[in-house]
Amino acid sequence: MSEHESMKELLALAACGALDAQEQRRLAEHARECPACRREQEIWGAYSEGLRRLPQPPLPAQLMERTRARVWQERATAADRRWDEMMLGALALFAWTVGLTAWFVARIFTGGALVIMGANLVRFGTWSAISTVLVWLTAAVAALALGKRRRELRRAL
Amino acid sequence: MILAAAMNPEALSGAEDTIARLRRGDPDALTAMISRYQHRLYRYLLRLVREPAAADDLFQQTWLRVMEKIGRYDARRNFEAWLFSVAHNLAVDSWRGTRGESLDNAGDSGESRAARLRADEPDALERLLDFERGAILAACLHELPAIHREVLTLRFEEDMKLEEIAEVAGIPLATVKSRLRRALEGLRAAMQSRRPGGRGA
Repeated sequence: MSEHESMKELLALAACGALDAQEQRRLAEHARECPACRREQEIWGAYSEGLRRLPQPPLPAQLMERTRARVWQERATAADRRWDEMMLGALALFAWTVGLTAWFVARIFTGGALVIMGANLVRFGTWSAISTVLVWLTAAVAALALGKRRRELRRAL
Repeated sequence: MILAAAMNPEALSGAEDTIARLRRGDPDALTAMISRYQHRLYRYLLRLVREPAAADDLFQQTWLRVMEKIGRYDARRNFEAWLFSVAHNLAVDSWRGTRGESLDNAGDSGESRAARLRADEPDALERLLDFERGAILAACLHELPAIHREVLTLRFEEDMKLEEIAEVAGIPLATVKSRLRRALEGLRAAMQSRRPGGRGA
């Protein structure tokens, strides 16, 4: 490739300010001697200037207000969701603790044997299995109810 | 004027303070940041996606994402480049979601236009008055592929350095340079095709 051709390749990049110092120097030296490249340089310069002065698009109505409202609404929803999850976890833990405490009370009152349908309900294993299933079933039902309520609220908004 | 404010040291330290308040979830800080960047961010998104409704939605999503991620933002990074990269990623995701394509191949026809360019022809740009030239140039920019519109608007309208453009678009510096060159050549070809009697006019 001739010097002229290789300099022509740099002209558009020069208009973008994308040449290093050595390339700039080489191009400036070449352009001093080459009217065609000087002319090209002016044309690319006009494009670069034109791009800097493009008509500005108008902002949509109340863009900032709508954005701010959406951000705070989403943050409030996320905070609600975290609160619901925390409460659900805390209540499940509380219910499980109550179930365990009730086991001690049931043992004291029944003397360690409460047989229903052949199963001793106050045996630790049976009691904890039943209370765990009950607690998590209730938690699942509560979570479904909360989710349904949240979807209804979102639709209402 | 916006750029001058951004380069002012006092304005920069003010921006750092606003970012710190944004991390704490201060509503006034969010208002200040949106107000500071709304024109530039919306313009960038509009150049990228071309549809005002899509740019509007992406603008809102960008601030939602900013609020989600501001806690992990590294204050040593340039906030503007980070903000625009958040917007860029959302635009890319939206493009993939709606069209099953990437931004890289979105309507990329710049090469064929550039190939039609002849440097020795009289240039249409010279013969246009400022106002008309701006409108026509904007229309030609609109025709370019998204990846070319993006680098041109970041370089010339947002006045970003090449390194910042690389950070926003998530591409190497060499790719930024080659995209800029192709984008300008494509733009010139589009302008030439619009001149009376020009090819493709």
